[in-house]
Amino acid sequence: MKKPRLGIFKLTSCDGCQLSILNLEEELLRVVELFSLSFFPMASDKELGGYFDLALIEGSISESRQREQVISVRERSRYLITIGACATSGGLQALKNWAVLESFKKSVYPDPALIESLSTSTPVSDHVYVDFEIWGCPVTGDALSETLACFLLDKRPTIPQYSLCMECKRKAIPCILVSEGEPCLGPITRAGCGALCPSFSRACYGCFGPRDDANIDSLMRWFEKSGYSGRERQRLLDTMNTYAYRRVQIEKKD
Amino acid sequence: MKRRINVKYLSRVEGEGALIIEIRNNEVEKVDLRIFEAPRFFEPILRGRPFQDVIDFTARICGICPVAYQMSAVHAIEAAMGVSVPQPVQDLRRLMYCGEWIESHALHVHFLHGPDFFGMESAWSDRDYGHIAQRGMKLKGLGNKILALLGGRPVHPLSVRPGGFFRWPEKKELYQLLPDLEKGFDLSLECISWAVSLFEGEEEIKDTGGFMVSLHNPDIYAMNTGTVCTSDGITYSMGEFTKVIEEYQVPHSNALHTGIKTGSTPQPFMVGPLSRINMSFTSLPEKVKSTVLQGGISLPLVDIRMSIIARCIEISYAFHEAINIIQGYDGTAPHVHVEPKEGKGLWITEAPRGMLIHSYEFDRKGNVVTARIIPPTSQNLAHIEKSLRNYIESNHHLTTKALRSGCENIIRSYDPCISCSVHLIDLTEGKS
Ligand code: SF4
Repeated sequence: MKKPRLGIFKLTSCDGCQLSILNLEEELLRVVELFSLSFFPMASDKELGGYFDLALIEGSISESRQREQVISVRERSRYLITIGACATSGGLQALKNWAVLESFKKSVYPDPALIESLSTSTPVSDHVYVDFEIWGCPVTGDALSETLACFLLDKRPTIPQYSLCMECKRKAIPCILVSEGEPCLGPITRAGCGALCPSFSRACYGCFGPRDDANIDSLMRWFEKSGYSGRERQRLLDTMNTYAYRRVQIEKKD
Repeated sequence: MKRRINVKYLSRVEGEGALIIEIRNNEVEKVDLRIFEAPRFFEPILRGRPFQDVIDFTARICGICPVAYQMSAVHAIEAAMGVSVPQPVQDLRRLMYCGEWIESHALHVHFLHGPDFFGMESAWSDRDYGHIAQRGMKLKGLGNKILALLGGRPVHPLSVRPGGFFRWPEKKELYQLLPDLEKGFDLSLECISWAVSLFEGEEEIKDTGGFMVSLHNPDIYAMNTGTVCTSDGITYSMGEFTKVIEEYQVPHSNALHTGIKTGSTPQPFMVGPLSRINMSFTSLPEKVKSTVLQGGISLPLVDIRMSIIARCIEISYAFHEAINIIQGYDGTAPHVHVEPKEGKGLWITEAPRGMLIHSYEFDRKGNVVTARIIPPTSQNLAHIEKSLRNYIESNHHLTTKALRSGCENIIRSYDPCISCSVHLIDLTEGKS
């Protein structure tokens, strides 16, 4: 059987998600055997054009050349999967989107007209069709190997869609939102990290982005009652998944 | 006769860059290390953010050395808030740094740089290299294990905060690492001998490594503390050093270049493992030193490609140090409360790639007013170009293809981290 051709691409990012692929260690060497790794500049000189059975993309789009690049990758790939907060929701660098907007005293809603411009950082799915998204800053090794294995088996990866709170419950970690009054984003954030921050007695800061159907406003009202100012509340949402949290918040309002 | 070397996309480095060299009648006319990685504007992003965000955000500048960002940041914040942390916290921070040095160096030595010495395109393109790749994986995995234990995960750990850690490990958890770390130490000694053997019968490329700068500490191999020392014997405090360097922009790069102000032109300098080893070789453990010297090499190391040896030595040192720290750990590392206040703080730590400078100003709520970050790669860029120039000038008899791979080897020797180096520059304004 011909090995499927795998390409790994980088846009605007810190390389941490690509590194998570290299961190698969033993599994990585198996991946290399099961796939034909056709493009991975971080680890290999080999550069092949042509078609990819699977393209993994790290990084957000913050320059016009990257738009062209991502369109070309889409045209040449059977499946396209984004890895990490940058590619899936614009990353930390998307904070500049609002800085520009605010300095122009415009509304805080994402303005589609600005998406073309260099002054924004946007997820890949704003530009081309994405078959599947892996969240996290960085993505976990488990999610990566699950996705690669499912690709080979022609199945859809099963990656949890529920909230981080479920993971805390399962691990019997005392709720730091209720018991400590810490501003934890757990209730509105997607599971997947294994409740890392709460297991370090730290409030979740949203590396994995909003879960589907997150009720952000209700959590924000809770924070307001606990004495967090509007600015402080906004800052909690404005981290590596700022674009996604703001978008969910707006969609809920409609 | 005109020759041109054009590497459109540098592979096996972190980030996006290209190289253009033009040689006319054996004279080097142009050496441009082009950095086209998209900037991510961390400096404006940090403005107005509370100090904890500085630690979590700057980590995202680089997925390979997030701990370095967290270390420089946390020390700069504590300097600004006038806080000093107890010894156990300092030790655990050092242990974390050991984990990152192992992880980052093992990756670079085996997967990014190693293939150059065998004419391979990647670490898996030749089966004979398989056992070397596997050794790299094993070492890297051990570094990651330390990071995951102390910080939750190897990429962007989440335990560091001003004053200490969100959670400190139990004695038992750390002790469980010991048997693996002992094995790692033995394996790393093998690595040193292997790296030394890569240069057997090879002609040294002289002059490619030149003016070296690193932190130095008389008592201990410098990571989080020390004074800045240069290879010509000058010592600066961290603050003084940032005043004698100058950042300047060159047209072909999205990253600023850096030099030490001397006369009319800033003088390029080099930071990183080679500088550190040359500066602090004597403070290494006996077993590590003797393994290096048995290989028949002498110090100082001047051939920049020997950075691969320096990295292997530091992997060994990091294992040795990690074992020491764990054996001395009594099971607690209490956190000191840090009250936000107005202030300025500057700090330098030794990232795997060299000195990483952070400097901040905070308002009375402890929110960032200004931020300035000078990563090791920006400090090295001018020196990389100088190394390339020297190399070509003494090797112009080689074919263009040989020169090209020689140049790529030199660039990778510096382990440039291109995503780090462009984080600050606003292209629209043309300055940082
Ligand atoms: S999502 Fe996070 S870890 Fe991944 S590339 Fe972006 S900043 Fe790095």
